[in-house]
Amino acid sequence: MRAADLLGAEVLGHDGSSLGEILDVRLVQDGPMLGANCALRIDGFVVGKRQLSAHLGYDRAGVRGPALVAAVVRRLNARNRYLPWADVAEARAGSVRAGTSALGPVPQLPDAAS
Amino acid sequence: MTGRVLDLAVHLLDRQVVDPDGGLVCNVDDVDLLFPDDGSPPYITALLTGPAALGPRLGGLLGRWWVSAYQLLGQRHDREPDRIPYELVTDIGSAVKVSRTRAEMGIHPGEDRAREYLVDRLPGAGHESS
Repeated sequence: MRAADLLGAEVLGHDGSSLGEILDVRLVQDGPMLGANCALRIDGFVVGKRQLSAHLGYDRAGVRGPALVAAVVRRLNARNRYLPWADVAEARAGSVRAGTSALGPVPQLPDAAS
Repeated sequence: MTGRVLDLAVHLLDRQVVDPDGGLVCNVDDVDLLFPDDGSPPYITALLTGPAALGPRLGGLLGRWWVSAYQLLGQRHDREPDRIPYELVTDIGSAVKVSRTRAEMGIHPGEDRAREYLVDRLPGAGHESS
């Protein structure tokens, strides 16, 4: 499967309700060794409503930019939620089913500015 | 290069890939994911590049046209994108660094042919811009 099969895929809760679309994929570099490095494994999905501001990363990365723009974009993305891989019941191209309907907030990246 | 946390769309997709000498190789248009049979989390096994990778990401009519044009111009009769095994990635930052050159990996051969047979023969093609 390719990432393009997951990005934009609809996420369904365990009761069949739509939780939004996959906006991004959180990766952690602690997977199996590939060559000299650990592989980037999927840790979870950023889920929400697709909009241009969601692709800027202001809501989860230490992206520097005009404070006013950052504040507006953070507010627009405040409803984004995080689906950890442990809570994924089924992942197919174009559709992901979660084992829960209650998703938590998107974790900040470790090196993100507060 | 272990233990890092990053977001695929923000930190990896569309980044430039450069070789050990800093030469441009390609852009990251998509990635290949392996889903282990034991149910453990999937992981990236390769970077994908070229219209055959970007087209499906674009989707719709534009995406299909993009892939078809690639097949025609690049004389590729399959829909498989160029692939850079993850083992060759040495660093991920503002650019993705790999341990091989573009020629060694055979990335975008159609583009290289177009440069050799068309662009390089244009008058003034030998004059590098400053």
